[in-house]
Amino acid sequence: MGLRNIGKTLSADKKEIDTERLCERFQQYGFLKLGEIRCRERVKVAGEIKRMRIKPRSGIPAVEVAISDGTGEVTVIFSGRRNIPGIDHGRCIMIDGVPHRDGAQIVMLNPAYTLLA
Amino acid sequence: MLVRGCTTDMALSPSALKRFFIGKPIASSQDQHHRLSKKIALPVFASDAISSTAYATEEILIVFLSLAAVGLSAFDNLVPISVLVIFLLIIVVSSYRQTIYAYPNGGGSYIVARENLGKHPSLVAGASMLIDYILTVAVSVSAGVAAIVSAFSSLAPHRVTLCVGFILIVTLANLRGLKESGALFAPPTYLYIVSLASLIVVGLYKVYFKDLGPIDHSGEVAQELLSGQKTLTIFFFLKAFSSGAVALTGIEAVADGVPAFEKPEAKNASKTLMWMAVVLGSSFLGLSILAQKLQPLKDHEGNIKVTVLAQMAEQVYGGRNIFFYVTQFATFGILILAANTAYADFPRLSSIIAKDNYLPRQLANRGDRLVFSNGVIFLGLAASALVIAFGGIVNALIPLYAVGVFTGFTLSQFGMLVRHRKLKEPGWQVRAFFSGVGSLTTLAVAGTVVVVKFTDGAWIPAVIIPSMMLIFVTINRHYVRVRSFLKIEEGYVAPRHTHLVVVLVGSVNKGVLQAVKYAESLRPDRLLALSVVGSTEAGAKLDADWAKHNMTVDLEMINDQFRDITDSIMTRINQLDDEASDDIITVIIPEFVTSLRSQWLHNQSALSIKARLLYRPNTVVTSVPIVIK
Repeated sequence: MGLRNIGKTLSADKKEIDTERLCERFQQYGFLKLGEIRCRERVKVAGEIKRMRIKPRSGIPAVEVAISDGTGEVTVIFSGRRNIPGIDHGRCIMIDGVPHRDGAQIVMLNPAYTLLA
Repeated sequence: MLVRGCTTDMALSPSALKRFFIGKPIASSQDQHHRLSKKIALPVFASDAISSTAYATEEILIVFLSLAAVGLSAFDNLVPISVLVIFLLIIVVSSYRQTIYAYPNGGGSYIVARENLGKHPSLVAGASMLIDYILTVAVSVSAGVAAIVSAFSSLAPHRVTLCVGFILIVTLANLRGLKESGALFAPPTYLYIVSLASLIVVGLYKVYFKDLGPIDHSGEVAQELLSGQKTLTIFFFLKAFSSGAVALTGIEAVADGVPAFEKPEAKNASKTLMWMAVVLGSSFLGLSILAQKLQPLKDHEGNIKVTVLAQMAEQVYGGRNIFFYVTQFATFGILILAANTAYADFPRLSSIIAKDNYLPRQLANRGDRLVFSNGVIFLGLAASALVIAFGGIVNALIPLYAVGVFTGFTLSQFGMLVRHRKLKEPGWQVRAFFSGVGSLTTLAVAGTVVVVKFTDGAWIPAVIIPSMMLIFVTINRHYVRVRSFLKIEEGYVAPRHTHLVVVLVGSVNKGVLQAVKYAESLRPDRLLALSVVGSTEAGAKLDADWAKHNMTVDLEMINDQFRDITDSIMTRINQLDDEASDDIITVIIPEFVTSLRSQWLHNQSALSIKARLLYRPNTVVTSVPIVIK
């Protein structure tokens, strides 16, 4: 138990540093914050790519990308392909689409995207 | 797999070494229980008690001569003290006779106290006896080495090394499963009894009929001891008495081992006990009378290297001849055997206490040779530590010794008193009276030892026994807590979990493919491969490889800005865990297994991930090994 708590505090420290970094980075653009997102309304948001999940379903592959701007996290799904040039770890993208809730996460399906940096 | 490979490849592997020293493993069904006749039982059980005559007289003299500095009047007080000790012996023995009849299955202090007095007194008895057994080894081996050093004075500087060496030998012998075999025990014990008898008879004959005078002492230390002029105070008298009382150590062995006797067990055990008491009492008294006449000297710092027994043997036999050496070797032999009896008792008692959940369960495990190996090893280590700490000097260990013995005696006899009062068998009043007197007397002795020798070292058991009780209770509380936690309550059904399986992937290789195939065979509700990638290129490479091998499992790549793989994985697993409330997570780690030599080159990150995941609830960690030949 003790070990896990120590682990939690230590990882929380890194998380804080990362959150701060992301907040600073996205303040300049002035988009809607991911933490304030509302479902089923068209939004323009931006975030840094934290994770990519490749779903190699036979026939219809998909790429799931988790983006974060420090205030929250959104999962973006691009279906029909397994990789998109420019969509890579650490890249910043702007997303234009309609979010919906799927379980614990907020998901946007095939939105329009713009590479920012 | 790994271990088997090693044994066939390398001749000197750990298990081959173990086989060499310990011997071939014995099957449980081959366990044999020998029954002992009285003639054999006497040496087996009495060696501990009788061997204490080798140093008891000496310890009394040391108190008088060296600590009290009373000079020659020491020798006048020797016999009265001995008579008192023998009186104590008679009380304790008559009390133990009843224990033998009451507990034909073996009634050590711990068991008697547990049955009659309850938990805490039994723990005190248990702790006292365990400490006592450790001290029996330390004291007996030290005294045995002292006997050898007396004969060969050039060995004196190696005293501690010799002690530790003999402890090691006895430990190894016991790990091999040296049974209390009469063939081994009988000769040294009877040889010692005969050589003591001959020393006393010849000595007293020469003293009374051939005018054999006191030993001539030269040397500063001896002169200083002889010139002591102080008057004997009651404090030092009690101190000398409590030193002499160590002669009683080991008496409980017969009562512990009743089941080992031939039928009728109790009757034979009781007769053996009487014989032991007679031998012990008469030789102790004889040695004290002889010492009064011959006036051997000994100081408490060990400046005089020759033991009292050796000094007397030299004087009686007129020099260092064959009789002298036989006496010394017989003394050494019985003392080593006395140490050996503790090796039978300590593991047995600790296993009983462990079965009652007051000591780690490992102490109740039997090893290759059907002995309680862990207990034997622990005893060897503890005794060696004591010998090293006290420089192998008997006199320094004695104050620690008597406390435990007499605490054990007291509780055992008090337990018998309670039992008599409860059962009220015919004639119980008389027996209860004996037990009562016995317990009060031994309690008085235990108290005296603690008080008069507190600063000499009696404080050590006085501190250790309560702390051992605390350890017992803490261990017990843990076991009870675990058991109540694991207990199946009425109507309990193991919960159904959503199963999430995460395969950790570094790069795509054969081991990873096997691990993913294995993961699929588990048919989890959710399955994904997780990889921490350091750079965009690494991610692209992994993605390409994943596609190339037509993997059908989702591959999730995390980018870590802080290059901490373990931490990233832990964070992600926590997130995945939060997505469902009832899930159980299996983390599959593909691992390379190579030889012991090169194993450390692999799996360092796997090791740290495993260590972190071990404490995570609802998390299963599975290693999928790929053995590299």
